[in-house]
Amino acid sequence: MSARRTVRREVAAVLMYAAEVAIVVIAVAPIIWMVSTALKPEGQILSATPHWIPQTLTLENFQRVLAKYAFLRWMANSVVVAVVATAIVVAIDAMAGYALARFSFPGRGIIYDVIISMLLVPIQVTVIPLFLIFAQVRMLDTFQALILPTTANVTGVFLMRQFFLGIPAELEEAARIDGAGDLQVFARVVLPLSRPAMAAVAALTFVSSWNNFLWPLIATSSDRARTLPVGIAQYMGAQAGTSGSAPAFGPPLASAVMATAPALLAFFLLQRYFTQGITTTGIKG
Amino acid sequence: MKVLPQRAHGHRLVGGGSPFTPYLFLLPYLVVFVLFRFGPVVGGFLTSLTAWSIVGAPKYVGLENYRALVHDPLFYTSVENTFYFLLLTAPTLIVLGLAFALLLNRPIAGRGVARVLVFAPYAMMSAVVGILWTWILDSNFGLLNYYLAKVHLGPIPWLSSQIAAMPAIALTTVWWTIGYNMVIFLAGLQDIPPQLEESARIDGAGAWQVLRHITIPLLRPTTFVVVMLTIINTFQVFDQVYVMTGGGPGTATLTLVQYLFFQAFQTFKLGYGSAIAYVTFALLLLMAWLQQRLLPSEVSA
Repeated sequence: MSARRTVRREVAAVLMYAAEVAIVVIAVAPIIWMVSTALKPEGQILSATPHWIPQTLTLENFQRVLAKYAFLRWMANSVVVAVVATAIVVAIDAMAGYALARFSFPGRGIIYDVIISMLLVPIQVTVIPLFLIFAQVRMLDTFQALILPTTANVTGVFLMRQFFLGIPAELEEAARIDGAGDLQVFARVVLPLSRPAMAAVAALTFVSSWNNFLWPLIATSSDRARTLPVGIAQYMGAQAGTSGSAPAFGPPLASAVMATAPALLAFFLLQRYFTQGITTTGIKG
Repeated sequence: MKVLPQRAHGHRLVGGGSPFTPYLFLLPYLVVFVLFRFGPVVGGFLTSLTAWSIVGAPKYVGLENYRALVHDPLFYTSVENTFYFLLLTAPTLIVLGLAFALLLNRPIAGRGVARVLVFAPYAMMSAVVGILWTWILDSNFGLLNYYLAKVHLGPIPWLSSQIAAMPAIALTTVWWTIGYNMVIFLAGLQDIPPQLEESARIDGAGAWQVLRHITIPLLRPTTFVVVMLTIINTFQVFDQVYVMTGGGPGTATLTLVQYLFFQAFQTFKLGYGSAIAYVTFALLLLMAWLQQRLLPSEVSA
């Protein structure tokens, strides 16, 4: 009886390990395949039997991407947009979240409700009006057109407000009794305490800006402001008809590797903040 | 007048200095919020009441765009395709997301690494995921068809066939986003006090019974959030489709946002596109309401 139960438990344990290994392999194998393909010469990519380890290692796909496309420019654009947007969001969302959490003032309820209600509205509803706004002021295809809509994010305000509601107010009260003004209390007492929340907001904002696709696709029309995902999609996607008749997989996959490497590296280093942000809000950006 | 710091309710303070202080703190955010979020949401509806191509002034047409949608076969195709995509992905993402979370919540060797690796695809950008899977799903040289042939299946012309294209994009999407649902479920599981499951087990409940009668009911608020987010995200699918098929072959993968993009930014019917956007929004609200009715976040007594 107990022997049988032990056997059953061991079988269950083995099955669970097998399942764990299986899901990890399925998650990771395509990424490895991407790297492996990118390192092969075109002739070996289209092969009837896949070779996980390239027979010949080459960087020609990477060189071709860098020589033929403004890849580095797209990447720099993406970095500039994401960094500036993140800095603005962290600053203004911390201030707004603080006002909503710590002050009572006429209109607070309605302001908060209107902000939060925007969580329900899909972003597609805004792209046409945004396009009209930026076309009107002749600012399409600029960094501003990419950054400004990102700064109007709702999640960050929500997250900061929740955070401020959760920390005790005694320190702020003490500072106030010592004669500090509102701005001093905020800058010297509150901000240093809220680093974890700001890190979560920063991580979420950066990632959503970095990955943002639909609006940059609409708003950009040249390499001047074109971001990385848009450049990759427009020049490497199946629909782009990567010049020539036969589909070439080498350059697209090399660009996929170059686009993914910094993101994955940052993810492995910062995944604590990243998952923290997701699990406190359940929302991505 | 100097107001002494005092607590309103809970930890809320009445601010010290001027009564304008909270508004000043809010101002920078409110400016961008009104200009680039709230304004466009209202403006989008107004645009949907006009005939507006980029050149020339908008012309008010009332509900004409919505009336035209009702008679637009491509619109129905895009609604059907969107729901088809939702059916293919959402249940899988929810059930498998929970299953992965349950597995990696157990004291199993390597679970920390496994959690990070299963989540890793989500750190990739949609365009890159689309490119990678276009290659994996390639009819002739793709990895998937190679391994399917090993078990005497296929070859399936994934992205070039009307029938297989949408399942192919669904498969790609599940691979890409499953880790996201898993992470939310894991956080929910960690909030369940282990004593509850232990005491049920001591009382003789099997693993399945514990799962059914303790874990899943206690996980309900988390499940609510996951279901809602999965529906919202899959309903708005665009990026993968744009990169992998562009809505084709034919109209096999034309989704609502795809159709919006086509009408607004390729034929430049901005009013008509706005109407599609608002119908999409209305359908999402309808589904959120249905979910609220069918699967409330709290168990009602």
